[in-house]
Amino acid sequence: MSEKLFEALIQAVIDGEEEEAEALVRQALEQGVDPLACINEGLMKGIEEVGDLFSNGTYFLPELIQGAGAMKAALEILEPELVGKEQREVVGTVVLGTVAGDQHEIGKTLVGTMLTANGFKVIDIGVDQKADDFVAAIEESGANIVGASALLTTTLLELKRLIDSIAEAGLAEKVKVMIGGAPVTQDFAKEIGADGYADDAIAAVAVARKMVGAAA
Amino acid sequence: MATERHVIEPITTSRQLRFLEEAQLDTLREATLDILENVGVRFDSEKALVIFAEHGANVDRSSQIVKLPRDLVLKAMANVPRRFTLGARDPDLDLPLKEGVTYFTNDGCGHNVVDFETGEQRASALADVAMMARINDYLPSMSFCWTMVSAQDCGATAPLYEMDAAWKNNTKHYQSVTMMGEKLCRYGVEMATALRGSLEEVKRRPPMSLICCTIAPLVQDKDALEGAMVLAEAGIPVVIMSMPTMGTTAPATFAGALALADAEVISGTVLMQLATPGARVFHCILHAWADPRTGGYVGYPLDARTRFAPVEIAHHWGMPSLGGACGTESAEVASWQAAAEVATDPLLVSMASAEIVTGLGLRATYTLLYPEAIILDSDLYNQARYSHLDMEISPETLAVDVSAKVGAGGHFLGEKHTRKYMRDALVRSNCQELDAAGQYRDPVEVAREKVRWILENHHPEPPAPEVQKELDRILAAADKELKG
Repeated sequence: MSEKLFEALIQAVIDGEEEEAEALVRQALEQGVDPLACINEGLMKGIEEVGDLFSNGTYFLPELIQGAGAMKAALEILEPELVGKEQREVVGTVVLGTVAGDQHEIGKTLVGTMLTANGFKVIDIGVDQKADDFVAAIEESGANIVGASALLTTTLLELKRLIDSIAEAGLAEKVKVMIGGAPVTQDFAKEIGADGYADDAIAAVAVARKMVGAAA
Repeated sequence: MATERHVIEPITTSRQLRFLEEAQLDTLREATLDILENVGVRFDSEKALVIFAEHGANVDRSSQIVKLPRDLVLKAMANVPRRFTLGARDPDLDLPLKEGVTYFTNDGCGHNVVDFETGEQRASALADVAMMARINDYLPSMSFCWTMVSAQDCGATAPLYEMDAAWKNNTKHYQSVTMMGEKLCRYGVEMATALRGSLEEVKRRPPMSLICCTIAPLVQDKDALEGAMVLAEAGIPVVIMSMPTMGTTAPATFAGALALADAEVISGTVLMQLATPGARVFHCILHAWADPRTGGYVGYPLDARTRFAPVEIAHHWGMPSLGGACGTESAEVASWQAAAEVATDPLLVSMASAEIVTGLGLRATYTLLYPEAIILDSDLYNQARYSHLDMEISPETLAVDVSAKVGAGGHFLGEKHTRKYMRDALVRSNCQELDAAGQYRDPVEVAREKVRWILENHHPEPPAPEVQKELDRILAAADKELKG
């Protein structure tokens, strides 16, 4: 019975069917299926397949985003049920956002999707976020990576402010900072003391995996 | 590449560009009539002189100059058909001439080849004709097939072998750029008849046509014209092409060169109509410029304002037009010059409403073949073709509901509508193919891969064995008679 449900869950993620994924996990919980099994046997397998289809060129961004969207919606129902039980295994926890004064969302969202599809837990705090908001989210989640995006030359300096704020909060040893965005370069990242830089979402996964010591 | 179909994709558009005013066209025509009536054209053909004399032209036998009275010209020109069909080997690929549709072909007729395998430059041969006919057959940008290079290894009957090679490797309409002379063209008609099964079928769906070049200024070549008359009599379409060079073989002014060239084309067309009333004839002027110090041929100056005026001149006479495009002077396969000189040609010539257009794929002013160049030029062609395609406007494509759902900020990647349409919204050119690292690949490398793929995978149906046997017999007979 559970096997069939897991298969349906995998397919819902592959098809990017958010409502279907939500309905299936609710049904699973009603039937007493282990929520962790739903994650590991259903959602994770589905998102891995989505990642593979994206990597081999079959899937494009909408399929990727919608697959991750279905997974995220189902996780929001399942994760509260894990309280007191075994937590799901994640590669790392990432606080993600676009810096203050910058409303650009899409690049940051793609990075979040790719990280999610690769086993990271992503806490997306949104756009136009002050350095203090990033710091608060790191402290609350215990994240070991921060991903910050800036798309405007005028907001680039916010990335430096963020790194300074993390140091001032005494978190520099606990969290690695990766940055990106159209005007950001490897040289700039080095100049402001960022730990990593990626020029697209796929590269961001490799950088993040390296930061947490996971295999490439 | 496997998704590409064996179809033709002509440029179709209801948009038109007009470069000349009606009054200017009338003035040009008057100049043409003046040249024909008072200056005359030299016809190096006794057969032509006899026909003109019989129809009341002013013929000077000693100088071979024919002067054509205005009324004779206008009466003969009234017989030129405006529209007809160019037949293909595959009936699905027939080309009915019609408003708003422009059919393109490859360039011709080159004589040097940069060998695809060795990279060495050498003289063109029959195998190159066959190879390029096969590549042409695969490409949807190519609606019909020109002799792209000459079969220099075939001697006097090369034009017949070129046509044979085209038919073995190509299922589209074939336009010979090299067939000349009465005897050779009679064999050409015999081959067309063998392919179609009867002369009536040749007339109904001519599988071939011919380019017949004049010699500027104001001379008609005996072999070109007498060959063309043989084909026209068999119902096979002919293109009368003038290639004047401003300042050397034509006046150095745009209007003067066009009037002179038009007189050449019209004198040939009148002859065709007198010999075979209703003969199918295309009008073509491919004019060029001369370097004022060396006299060298310059096909693509910065100021080429009259490049597509000949299409309008043809239509003003009530004739279909062969337009010219993509004849870069660059000898490199993919230099800035090779693309920039010709980039707007496919768009402009199709908007000028040319019925058929040559020619993609050669370099060094129509002389040098790189097999991969036709793939690169097809990008320019397709850029023009896509520019003319209609945009669908409907509730589904307007997607106001989707915009309302996403609202201000956010993104559309999470929408089912995006999932449905984003996949096909972006059509990449050969210049935009990505490598594994997401970087743009070298377009020449991409084009070479495509050529290799076509040669390995595309094998058009050749003529039936009994037809090929008959074609072989005709070729052998031609060899015996014409090669001595």
